Amino acid sequence: MSGTVRRRLYWAIQWRRNEGLGALGIVLLAAAVLYAVLFPGIFGAGALNKFVQGWFPTALVAAAETIVMLTGGIDLAVGPMVSLGSVVAASTMQSPLGTAGGVLATLALGIGVGSFVGWVVAVARYPAIIVTLAMSFVIRGVALLILPRPGGFVPHGLSDLLAGNRPVTALLLVLLVLAWKLYQATPLGLGLVAAGDNAEGAYRSGVGVTASRISAYAASGMLQALAGLYVAAQTGSGDPLIGEPLTLAAIAAAVLGGVSFLGGQGTLRGALAGSLLMSILINVMFFLRLPLVAQYVVQGAIIVVTVALPRLRAAARRPV
Amino acid sequence: MSAAGAILGARSVSKSFFGNPVLRDVSIALLPGRIHALLGENGAGKSTLINLLSGTLAPDAGTLEIDGDRIAALAPRDARRLGIAVVQQELSLAPHLSIAENIGLGAAPRRWGMIDYRGLAARVAALCTGVGLTEPPELPVGRLPLGRRQLVEIAKALFRRPRVLILDEPTSSLAAPDVAMLTALVRRLRDQGVAILYISHRLNEILDFCEHVTVLKDGAVTADRPLAGLDPLGLVRLMVGRDPQDLFPPYRAQATAETVLQTNGFRSGTASGIDLTLHRGEILGLGGLAGQGQEEFLLGLAGAAPARAAQFRMTTGAKPRTAPFAGVAEANAAGLAYVPADRKREGLLQPHSIRLNLLLPGFAAHPVQRRRRAAEAATSAELAGRFTIRGDLRRPVQALSGGNQQKVALAKWLPLAPSILLLNDPTRGVDVETKREIYLALRAMAAEGKAVLLLSSDTPELVHLCDRVMVFHDGRVAALLPHGAATEEAIVAAALGLAAPAAASVPA
Repeated sequence: MSGTVRRRLYWAIQWRRNEGLGALGIVLLAAAVLYAVLFPGIFGAGALNKFVQGWFPTALVAAAETIVMLTGGIDLAVGPMVSLGSVVAASTMQSPLGTAGGVLATLALGIGVGSFVGWVVAVARYPAIIVTLAMSFVIRGVALLILPRPGGFVPHGLSDLLAGNRPVTALLLVLLVLAWKLYQATPLGLGLVAAGDNAEGAYRSGVGVTASRISAYAASGMLQALAGLYVAAQTGSGDPLIGEPLTLAAIAAAVLGGVSFLGGQGTLRGALAGSLLMSILINVMFFLRLPLVAQYVVQGAIIVVTVALPRLRAAARRPV
Repeated sequence: MSAAGAILGARSVSKSFFGNPVLRDVSIALLPGRIHALLGENGAGKSTLINLLSGTLAPDAGTLEIDGDRIAALAPRDARRLGIAVVQQELSLAPHLSIAENIGLGAAPRRWGMIDYRGLAARVAALCTGVGLTEPPELPVGRLPLGRRQLVEIAKALFRRPRVLILDEPTSSLAAPDVAMLTALVRRLRDQGVAILYISHRLNEILDFCEHVTVLKDGAVTADRPLAGLDPLGLVRLMVGRDPQDLFPPYRAQATAETVLQTNGFRSGTASGIDLTLHRGEILGLGGLAGQGQEEFLLGLAGAAPARAAQFRMTTGAKPRTAPFAGVAEANAAGLAYVPADRKREGLLQPHSIRLNLLLPGFAAHPVQRRRRAAEAATSAELAGRFTIRGDLRRPVQALSGGNQQKVALAKWLPLAPSILLLNDPTRGVDVETKREIYLALRAMAAEGKAVLLLSSDTPELVHLCDRVMVFHDGRVAALLPHGAATEEAIVAAALGLAAPAAASVPA
């Protein structure tokens, strides 16, 4: 075996993980073309930047949902967590803690809540679907207690940096992908996938299954809180209900991107492509003046159809 | 009797599950540079012993010793650190991860806290060559056929540079050239001073290259000796032979000449080409090592798995049935009842009352009838009396012991008056007293003219209870032994694929 072959192992593995994403790629391309035909203005530099900014929260929560689903869990508290993130960011930044303090508080919130949920799931072994459903009410309630109606304040400088005219958001997306690559290359990152794929086998192989799971939920919580911070920067204030549509969007994006409900299978690139497709669809629906709740119908239907497709195909192929 | 110089040993370990002793006072010593065979029938305690040695389970009594030091507790992590590696049967692989990642899982080289894919690739390449894995290392393991996954499992164990290597039936899914490769590899490891524990049902393999053997029977050691001077039948004799005590009711031939079910070329799952003739009043045993197709055969007959047959004729109903059943309800309606092995999951509704469980099949027969409580109480009380299920029938079924649960799982079918009973290992994990009661019930049902197909992992049961025994090996019937010829030696020999000494004399 030559050195170049060895060096290629990582990229060969990565390339293999594109399998099954072809159909999504084609649909995404078609949607993008349709979008560009319908709204040619998208190719202006400013418009593209605005589009990426509109997409970014969905991309973040899709990544957050993907981490959890890879461990074999699910997070139904994504939306409320984004809301709480925006509320905490907006209310701490106007306090003496300042902008930096607000960012830190938001980060700590996400990691703290994520670690707690991870601990309950990984150590106390409660089903993730129950824990996160219950947590979604707790988090929503806390957000409403802190800010009963939209309010608080995000410094204009931060808003301008994150959601202004410079392509900072695109840079953040690149950072997200890089951070993900690094995380996935650590034993913890690979361990969370292995734990989702075959928990017993991973445990017997010496993978720290519990640590992998807790850190996965912590990382997921952090991304959700950051999405809240970003949304607060976009709107200039905190809103205790602003994240609501994002739970469904995150799951739909992940499922579209080939992330399995059973754990162990899926990629961030798939989930990001799924969230991009979702974002395009939402924009199209918006421009077509469909009511906002139509999103829910479309996203819910996407989940059901995407999950049902492989089973229908398998049923059609079954012998006897 | 942990020998001096052992890397890994167990001294007088015992282990019980739910009150059933699985290992009793077992000692074993694994020496460097020695291939040690572990032999025993299904349920003799081999897997439990492996799990103790690899830290997956903790013993109830007794100690483990590593390099002569006693250790209190062994977790899988400790076991690995101490150089104990187990090759399971395809249990530890993550199907969506690549071959290379699976091999390195939990032990991959790191640089700056991250997995060093370059270093991993180098070591994996060398190992894959060693075990004969030619697939690209980036291929997801789930894409490999079963036999190749076994090779990944072996490479994974070797990746940890083990001092003790436990191989649990490593060749069961390997093709012949791979077996030769594996054999050479294991010899090479032995020469490097690795202590090897080798579990296999292929006696010729064991005689071919193991040096020492420990034989387990019913959780106790019956032999711990060098292999030199033993032949295959000698090994079989060490595995079998149990005093039946008064466990079994005296045998009486009750089978009639009337055929109730006949199939030719029956296939279901891995079972194929099965010819069966079942008579009224007969108890026909199905034996063999676990997973040789006997369970799939039973499921196929019960309509619980897709099945085909060249010929099928069931003659108990009003008009004969000529095709295998497509569903369980259909089979039940025709007078066939299947009692599953996993009574907790498949046989019973655990949180519901004993009475409801006893009545459930009857409900299915009359789906839209008003319930008649008085008749239900009478029926359930009668069934309980007949199977000596004691106590309040309104208790949830999970309050009963395993044996009594099994009686409920069996009794509930009687109101449907089935003419053929398919039983999947009904006495597994059942205490002795209840076993005897189940045996008596089976005999009584046969005497009433029911035909019983009894799949059992307990060889004495097949010997003492059955009119004939079909022994499965590799998806086919290896021997059909009438009572008398079906000795424990003959059954186990046929199950292991040896030519049966008193082979297949087939009464019509």
